[in-house]
Amino acid sequence: MSYEIPEEEVAQDFAAALADLSMNSRYEISNLTVIARENTASALAISEALKSHIKQTSPAKKLPAFYVLDSIIKNVGTPYTLFFGRQLYSTFMEAYALVDNNVRSKMVEMLKTWKEPVPGSMDSRPVFPPEVTRPIENALIKARTSFLQAHQEQTRSQQSVMGRGRPMPSSTPYRETPTPPGNYRAPPPQSTPGFAPNYPAQQYPPPMNAKQYPPQAPPAQQYQQMPPNGQQYPTQQNGYQPHGLPPRPPSQQYSQPPPNAASWQQQYPNQPQSPYQAQPPSMGYASTEDSLAALNSDIENLINESKAEWSRNPHEVSFQTKLKALFDLQTILRSQTLPPDQISLIQNQVAQLKKAPQSAPIMQTPQAPLPPTPVVATPAPAQQPTLSSILGPGAQGALAALLARQSATPQTSSAVPATIRSPQQANIPPYQPPPSVTPAATPIPDPNSLLGRLRAAGMLPGLGATTSTPTPTVSTPTLASPPFMNTPPTSARTPLGIIPNDVVLKPASLKIPRPHLLAGLYEHLGAPCTQCGRRFQSDEEGKKKKAAHMDWHFHVRQRMDEAESRGQHRSWYVDELDWIKSREVEGETTTTTDPSQNTSAAKAAKKSKQQYIPAPDDPTLASVPCPICQEKFEMKWLDDAQEFVWMDAMKVGEKIYHASCFTEATKDVNTQAKRGTPEPVLGKRKAEDDGFAFRAKIKSEA
Amino acid sequence: MSIPGLGQAAPAAAFSAPILEAPVAVHELQANSEWRFEVEIGEKIDVKILSGTAEIFGTELAVNHLYTFRGVKSSIYTWHGCRIEVTGTCEEYTAEETPMTQYVNTHFALEKLRDEAAQNGREGPRVLVVGPTNAGKTSLVKLLTAYSLRMGRQPMVINTDSREGLLSIPGSLTATPFASIIDVEQGWGSSPTSTSSPIPVKLPLCYYYGLPSPEDNTKLYKPIITRLALASTSRLTDDPAIKATGMIIDTPGVISQGKGGFDLISHIVSEFSVNTVLVIGSERLHSEMLRKFSTYRTSTGETITLVKLDKSGGCVDRDETFTHQTNEAAIKEYFFGNARTTLSPHTQTIGYDDLLIYKIREGIYLISAPIVDPSLHSIAHANSFLPGGVEETEQGLFEKVEPNPSMQHCILAVMYATVNDSQDAVRDASVMGFVYVAEVDETKRRLRVLQPMSTRITDRPLIWGSWPEAAVSLVG
Ligand SMILES: [Zn+2]
Ligand SMILES: [Zn+2]
Repeated sequence: MSYEIPEEEVAQDFAAALADLSMNSRYEISNLTVIARENTASALAISEALKSHIKQTSPAKKLPAFYVLDSIIKNVGTPYTLFFGRQLYSTFMEAYALVDNNVRSKMVEMLKTWKEPVPGSMDSRPVFPPEVTRPIENALIKARTSFLQAHQEQTRSQQSVMGRGRPMPSSTPYRETPTPPGNYRAPPPQSTPGFAPNYPAQQYPPPMNAKQYPPQAPPAQQYQQMPPNGQQYPTQQNGYQPHGLPPRPPSQQYSQPPPNAASWQQQYPNQPQSPYQAQPPSMGYASTEDSLAALNSDIENLINESKAEWSRNPHEVSFQTKLKALFDLQTILRSQTLPPDQISLIQNQVAQLKKAPQSAPIMQTPQAPLPPTPVVATPAPAQQPTLSSILGPGAQGALAALLARQSATPQTSSAVPATIRSPQQANIPPYQPPPSVTPAATPIPDPNSLLGRLRAAGMLPGLGATTSTPTPTVSTPTLASPPFMNTPPTSARTPLGIIPNDVVLKPASLKIPRPHLLAGLYEHLGAPCTQCGRRFQSDEEGKKKKAAHMDWHFHVRQRMDEAESRGQHRSWYVDELDWIKSREVEGETTTTTDPSQNTSAAKAAKKSKQQYIPAPDDPTLASVPCPICQEKFEMKWLDDAQEFVWMDAMKVGEKIYHASCFTEATKDVNTQAKRGTPEPVLGKRKAEDDGFAFRAKIKSEA
Repeated sequence: MSIPGLGQAAPAAAFSAPILEAPVAVHELQANSEWRFEVEIGEKIDVKILSGTAEIFGTELAVNHLYTFRGVKSSIYTWHGCRIEVTGTCEEYTAEETPMTQYVNTHFALEKLRDEAAQNGREGPRVLVVGPTNAGKTSLVKLLTAYSLRMGRQPMVINTDSREGLLSIPGSLTATPFASIIDVEQGWGSSPTSTSSPIPVKLPLCYYYGLPSPEDNTKLYKPIITRLALASTSRLTDDPAIKATGMIIDTPGVISQGKGGFDLISHIVSEFSVNTVLVIGSERLHSEMLRKFSTYRTSTGETITLVKLDKSGGCVDRDETFTHQTNEAAIKEYFFGNARTTLSPHTQTIGYDDLLIYKIREGIYLISAPIVDPSLHSIAHANSFLPGGVEETEQGLFEKVEPNPSMQHCILAVMYATVNDSQDAVRDASVMGFVYVAEVDETKRRLRVLQPMSTRITDRPLIWGSWPEAAVSLVG
């Protein structure tokens, strides 16, 4: 992305048009969508403009802005999906914290559709990948649950005041009951047009139909745990547990590929309800189970298709291999409890497979799947010992597909390295076996051999020879071996120690190509950042760095925009002594040599800005401003605390002050140490806090 | 994806983005090939990697990201093959023959040395890159820097070539720790400004030599190198990340080809405790260096590893005009920023009598033996106390001058020193920044200068060199 003038102009015009958007105007939303579609080259700038508009605009204008976002991602898709997805959590939660309940329910409604494919689209993947939507769902559940718990006793009178939702009818959450409450089984009134089950195309229409963004949108209800086969998942914690049953042949309702992952909802469609009551606190898990159910059904469809293909070409070995791999995948899914991340990775892979041109599925009596045979296939290379690490390319492949969705030639299932750049690395935690798995009835196929076979069947991107052969070869990698494998976690830097490095500074030694070492500059470093190409490992540390890095990109844009109006200048160089003492902090830190940063006063001020308290539930207390400056507090969703908080706030006795005001007012009296304010645990989200501090600064300057 | 119905709404779009009618070309690069291009000063091209992998001097390019190149001779290399989309006009061709295998292997060899150094708690390799002008030294330095960054290293990059600035304007010598990606669109990137940059800024330590060639005034050049080495070595020993990585030192081509060159090379080798020398292109230089350094030991007792590398066919001769234009662009960028970030320098009018300006004398050669005694490092700034043997300075390095019209459109370096400091102290001081003389008013006896910020500069000595040459007017 270059920050060329045209792009700035597009973004500025876009922002100007947004600023006028005060209602759900079909015309304007449609216009903005068209602009976004015609200027995908400026997608980043446009996305940032919209994000910052959502952040900054008054609560009353936030919903229309979200409709614009919604319309763009559904009608244009990539690259907007990627750009919005990156900060979706904060975009969503920060707005959610500020809007009224009516808007909140609309937002929840919208979020729900983001977990679905675009209505009417051939593409069966959700609008946003689960990695993006799930954290938001979880935060919402958490917010709601804690709210409900806090208010269980004194509810009735307050619920209308607070309006956040009704209390739970009993303290027993739904998830404890083997079946959801009966009323959810009731078929819905079919009369409501535009509310047909299974999200027909009209419900989230393209902008031309934007008037159907209804004020009385149906509440989110798809989180009901209705497994496709009517079986109950025994517990939440383990998601899909072994049933002890043989693999279930596809039942009739699945013989036709469901148009989207949630087709089973047709049986248990929505029913207008108070949105919060309708969503049991277990929503987050339910969504995992949703995915799992959908995934199982997808796999079955693929199995059926492969069988059909195979039966037509019985001598074609590749179909057989593919089929076998699918069966094994199915077995793994049914016999193991996989972390949600891995499920979504598999899901992405499967979604890609589904996309591949297939012959029409043939309905036939399903055969019992072959028993999983733990065939020892290609031994996995030493660098990829775990399922999670091997699934790496799957995630990338899926993202490749995501990118390809927009391109003119959608048939890019054989991913060229090009398309494999992902804006965010898939979450691949180090694979750990589930702590207490019921011994599986069937032997679990070795994931490595499974994936080996998936690869052999062309279902996973091939491993570049570069990663699997640690010995030097004279050949150099070509386009055919995409060098984008993730490797298992390594230390912050990639020590070549793990790769034989025999290069010495001698002419002969320097002439020998060493593709295996070259991999240390590419695939071994993880997936690249879409904006600057820097690669990040997929391990925990890499993910943290990546998150901080993306935040950094975002805040840079923000700060540059802010600074544009103020006038900027080059700084003086630092002097020798300061320079010798300065340290480059992991990449992104702008080195500050302002000595005031180091004074204890500056530190104290900064520290007080980071203080927060849980936002008071008591509405009267919540409306009282800071006694010192008479300003209101800033409410914010704090991920680490998993609750809504007031930033820069502290409780002293019965009163709540801005921590900074209080510190300032009492700075000569050393009373701070005794205050019971929680120490912020913000290390992880430092970048965001800096952003917060920055906003606060801007605010005070304005 | 086409959405039925939406198409008709299109004409109602509130505006349409300005579309530049520039030629668009798509190039398919095979694995291990290099696309070389030259964009004239004042022109630009946009480049987008559509697929595959690509790097510019070792820095990987993001796919589908628009990169803009202005007035530059550069190249894009691919290890795996790629498709690139180029918008705009430039001279270009694709080369299959490159020394990239050698270069990347050099990086891996250095990595091995770094790993070994880390294990033994020693400093990573101090790598000196020498070779004649236009042999691709700076490109190799950049490549090795970028590769080490990608491995999570933090190299210290030293520029001893005053012809070109590194994160500074020409005439300066700098040391810069790199911990973040190199800005492929802007040479090496940017030194800090008051705002954020889409590519993290770098923090150079800057000294001012103010002449184009080290041989123009070795008596000034050598002590500055000594000082630069002293500061960099201090940082290196204090800073674990840099210590483990080491230094990469760029040099002026002239010291690899002139007669007096070896003296300057051995000065740099000695001051920076260089233990790895990469010789580009010149067989003669390589064998001469082999002969002279075969028995050499660094201050820490290490031997010197010398290796000759091939010159890249992509190296282009940069003629005087191009150099002049590049210098001017660098000065402009220092004060006014680049296409991404507009900077607003401060204008100030200063009376003649409020300024202390030192003009660098040219043509002073240090006749005595080069300083190779490491014990001199710490007292290098106290040269004047040295016992006989070293030439006495009957006239100073600098000539104190009053502002005059010939300063118009020149650059003055603002030193981290006071007006009472000795000339040697001023010489050894690092640079706070630069001012540009926009106007000299002889009748009113005052100067109008551009300076990056509004800070008072009259309490500091300014140095006036002849490099960079006077620019065209930057203002009005
Ligand atoms: Zn980045
Ligand atoms: Zn206050």
